Amino acid sequence: MSEFLNEIGPLTATALAELGAAGDLAALEQVKGRWLGAQGRFTGLMKQLGRLPKEEKPAAGKAMNEAKAALEAALAGRRGELELLASLPREPTDFTLPGRRRVMGRLHPLTQAAEDIVRSFRRIGFVVADGPEVEDDYHCFDALATPADHPARDTQDTFYLDTAPPRLLRTHTSSVQIRVMEKQPPPVRIIVPGRVYRRDNADATHNPTFHQIEGLYVDRGVTVGDLKGTVEFVFKAVLGGDVRIRFRPHYFSYTEPSYEIDFSSAATRALGKEWLEIAGCGMVHPQVFENVGYDPEEWTGWAFGFGIERIAMIRHGIRDIRLFYENDMRFLRQF
Amino acid sequence: MKITYHWLKEYVDFRWPPEELAERLTMLGLEVEGVEKRGGEFEGIVVAQVLTRDKHPNADKLSLCRVNDGAGQRQIVCGAQNFKAGDKVPLILPGATLPARPGEAPFTIKVGRIRGVESHGMLCSPRELGLSEDAQGLLVLREDARVGQPFAEYLGRAGGDVLFDLEITPNRPDLNSLVGIAREIAALTGNPLKLPRLLIPPAAMRLPPIGDLVAVRVEDADLCPRYTARLVRGVTIGPSPDWLRARLEGIGLRSINNVVDVTNYVMMEIGQPLHAFDCARIAPATDGKPTVVVRRARDGERFVTLDGQEHVLSGDMLLIADERQGIAVAGVMGGQNSEIHDRTADVLIESAHFHPPSIRRTSKRLGLRTDASYRFERGSDIGITDWAGLRCAQLILETAGGQLAEGVVDAFPHPPPPREIVLRHARANAVLGVDIPDATQVELLQHLGLEVFPDPPDPSGGGAGMPGATRFRVPTFRVDLKREVDLIEEVERLYGLEKVPATFPRGAVGFNAFDAVHDQIAEARRLLAGLGLNEAQGQTLVSETAARLWGRAEPVRLANPLSADMSALRSSLLPGLLDTLRHNLTRQQEDVAVFELGRVFSPSEGSPREGWRLAIALTGRRHAPFWSGADRDARCDIYDMKGVLEEFFEHYGARGVGFVRETESPATLVESAVLRWGKTDLGWLGQLAPALARQHDLRAPVFLAELDFDLLLSRRNTARVSKLLPAFPAVRRDVAMFLPEAVTHEAVLRVVREARPANLETVALFDVFRGGNVPQGRKSVAYAFTYRHAERTLTDAEVNAAHEALVAVIGQTLGATVREG
Repeated sequence: MSEFLNEIGPLTATALAELGAAGDLAALEQVKGRWLGAQGRFTGLMKQLGRLPKEEKPAAGKAMNEAKAALEAALAGRRGELELLASLPREPTDFTLPGRRRVMGRLHPLTQAAEDIVRSFRRIGFVVADGPEVEDDYHCFDALATPADHPARDTQDTFYLDTAPPRLLRTHTSSVQIRVMEKQPPPVRIIVPGRVYRRDNADATHNPTFHQIEGLYVDRGVTVGDLKGTVEFVFKAVLGGDVRIRFRPHYFSYTEPSYEIDFSSAATRALGKEWLEIAGCGMVHPQVFENVGYDPEEWTGWAFGFGIERIAMIRHGIRDIRLFYENDMRFLRQF
Repeated sequence: MKITYHWLKEYVDFRWPPEELAERLTMLGLEVEGVEKRGGEFEGIVVAQVLTRDKHPNADKLSLCRVNDGAGQRQIVCGAQNFKAGDKVPLILPGATLPARPGEAPFTIKVGRIRGVESHGMLCSPRELGLSEDAQGLLVLREDARVGQPFAEYLGRAGGDVLFDLEITPNRPDLNSLVGIAREIAALTGNPLKLPRLLIPPAAMRLPPIGDLVAVRVEDADLCPRYTARLVRGVTIGPSPDWLRARLEGIGLRSINNVVDVTNYVMMEIGQPLHAFDCARIAPATDGKPTVVVRRARDGERFVTLDGQEHVLSGDMLLIADERQGIAVAGVMGGQNSEIHDRTADVLIESAHFHPPSIRRTSKRLGLRTDASYRFERGSDIGITDWAGLRCAQLILETAGGQLAEGVVDAFPHPPPPREIVLRHARANAVLGVDIPDATQVELLQHLGLEVFPDPPDPSGGGAGMPGATRFRVPTFRVDLKREVDLIEEVERLYGLEKVPATFPRGAVGFNAFDAVHDQIAEARRLLAGLGLNEAQGQTLVSETAARLWGRAEPVRLANPLSADMSALRSSLLPGLLDTLRHNLTRQQEDVAVFELGRVFSPSEGSPREGWRLAIALTGRRHAPFWSGADRDARCDIYDMKGVLEEFFEHYGARGVGFVRETESPATLVESAVLRWGKTDLGWLGQLAPALARQHDLRAPVFLAELDFDLLLSRRNTARVSKLLPAFPAVRRDVAMFLPEAVTHEAVLRVVREARPANLETVALFDVFRGGNVPQGRKSVAYAFTYRHAERTLTDAEVNAAHEALVAVIGQTLGATVREG
């Protein structure tokens, strides 16, 4: 009996030494088989246990179990070590190497600017409306109190289409004011982003195609003060909280009073200007309401419009409007 | 409109320096687009008066003076001896520069210490001022010199001035004049407007009454509501005096001669365009009097304007004529045949009011834009016509001599009644969102020259007599004031918008059907960007050739294009995307993945039809640059395009779009397929034809797709119903086989679908291979079939039975050879 017990200690020690010496996972598995496998030496010892006299069994069993637990713990520990070792790359990872990029496309800077503008208007109850880019004289000019002989038409050189009846490309999104008011009774609270066209040769500040956004708010008791509040809110949201806004009296045939909106910020000062013109606006002219069948005594409203390119150019310090329409990847991927 | 600071000051007093004037004008609505300082002689040198003169504490030969420079007192150290307290002397202020002497560098004065005492400027000798070689002492000025006056002004020489370039809005023709602008300043400051006094010395009026000397006959009072003429005889044509020449040249007008310059001067002063005719060249009527006839031109009538151009006129143009021929295109330009020349002695001054739209049409049609037509087409002041003629006469007498005929010919058959507008003060406050007292509103409008008119001529007209309303009479120069809201604007303009509190919109929330569409478009843009495509924005205007190439019908053309390459509306987004590809590829950007979502145009009854399209273009490398991996340099092929579309369709809710190969591709493409969606075509995809690629400098294969976005919007289905996740394991069986080339993937799927093998869950293609041991005319394809039962684990035996039967059917139906392994 003591012979049996005396055997456990040295055998265990040898087994533990072999486990510790295993150099990789395969060697470890071999060691495990040699000792703990079906034909293993330790397994063999376990089988002898049954043949021991009854009174010797408890002490021998206890010693065997302890030895087995020690072997298994050593096995698990060594396996963990070897697994970790095996998972390590041969060379340390160079984390400064470029990653394998999953490239996303970019939204056009004009889309991004328009979306930001739309988002801030929606926060104060405006919805997006739309209208045709091909227009007639009536919706683009006459209904907006700008008849053919009006000098105000000089400022908007118009593309006409070779169609019968004659049609034109809208010179401003204001035509959508008329389209919407013709279709829908007041109140109205819309913004209209879209393309507009002027017969200007392309240069750093002109492109025959460009984008505007129009706002129109018609309700009972709408005031110039509301116009001021809204414009200030939107431009601060779009151009940053540090901007200052000022309203300058101006003239548009379809609003009265009319204003131009200037703003001032670090961006304008970088361009060497205290104030930069950014939008036109005013109270909807009663004549326009009469043209669409709204009663100007009951309803008042305001409208404004501004160029989306202008906003994007100011936000990103873009100096040439033509960049927007060249779609150079190196340009687009900056936004 | 250009004005100068000192000229403006003649008509109204204000204390603002030029920068503040610019700011004030801008905030009044006269946007200042440019401010240009004009240096004059003796900048920074003013008339100063010596108040005290004491000995310098540290130097015997110097004196320490206190002087008044007009703005305040300053201490000056001076070495001259020839002056005493009370003398007026020229003082140069620190920062200013003495006139440079030939061969010497200019000397700029600074605040300095002379023998321990500060000197704030320098009193000047004639030599220092460059006036003479006298350096013995100060230049002591006349006793009547005004303290603080610029020294140049004291000498009567041109001083510095400031030129302002103003943008005048088209509704305010009255502001195209110095007096008009001065009126605005008068309204803002409350200072009076100073109009020149029209006094003609009796000695210059010894001619008979004008009616005995000339006649005017207006044949079309609609186009010419008022025509006045004055006559000055015996003038001497010559160069203008310095002051007149300087004024005109200061605002960029060329000086011509004294008489013509006076007409321009008065136009700039009061805004009324004037014309001076050589009276001797106006043909007399039968009574012997030179007679001006205001009539419509005859169709085809030829006329040479004073710029030497011959014009062919038409019957709706107004002509100033004599009994024989035209002598001026009314309100636009005079004629060569009656212009002032060196020997002109008698001048007929025309001051008239013409119908604005008529002038505008004529000027546009003849291509003649003049300072006169610019003002007439915006509306001249019908109340100032005669005043302007007389002012012109006065200045001609002053600068060219002669005698003024007594009186005026004034053809003014129907003076319009004064315009009256009722302002309800509460309405003004309601529109503006502020509370401006009634009395303040009235006062502000009175400052602008509006008169309160208490007795309503027509009580039923409403307003006046009503409490809280005032009836105003509008001065003739304010052609823009037509209705109540115009007065509200004027009240607010003078009151100041900065005093109106900013508020938020209240009440109803907006509604428009397009709002949801806008979101759907935005959603598509974001998904496409997420798929690695960059968003492009192309020109709407393209060449007719491009529009025709990519459109199905004749393109919509512009009637007045700027150039041939921008002469039609895009019928497809492809021309823009190809331009984008060309732009990038010619700039060494070879990998381009772009989309555009925008509108295209096609001809239709009435207005051209507008529709939304989506187009995609791919070329170059498939992946972003990377430094390892076998396929790192892989190029895009048509399956990249298809994959983008499939993924997009799935996300966007376009289910069941088929890709149907076109047996005959359009000329623009080499291999292409139609996107079939039920019974309609959603669009197409394909590879750009090589000839077109070459035209656009594109060397690598280019893959394109375009689809009808309106159709997509109308039929997309974003509803998603959740399916139970499987609870039991799947069994996979792979099959590799040789198939004839003509058998498509879709054909294989169809056979599988029709065979309906038990428990088949999915079929996935995982390899297509040609070459090697694959026989000619065949391809090797490999499919993975996945079998699964919803309620139990399948046995190998039942899967094998179903799978073997399926493989057999595929083999028989499609002529497939099933390969081992």
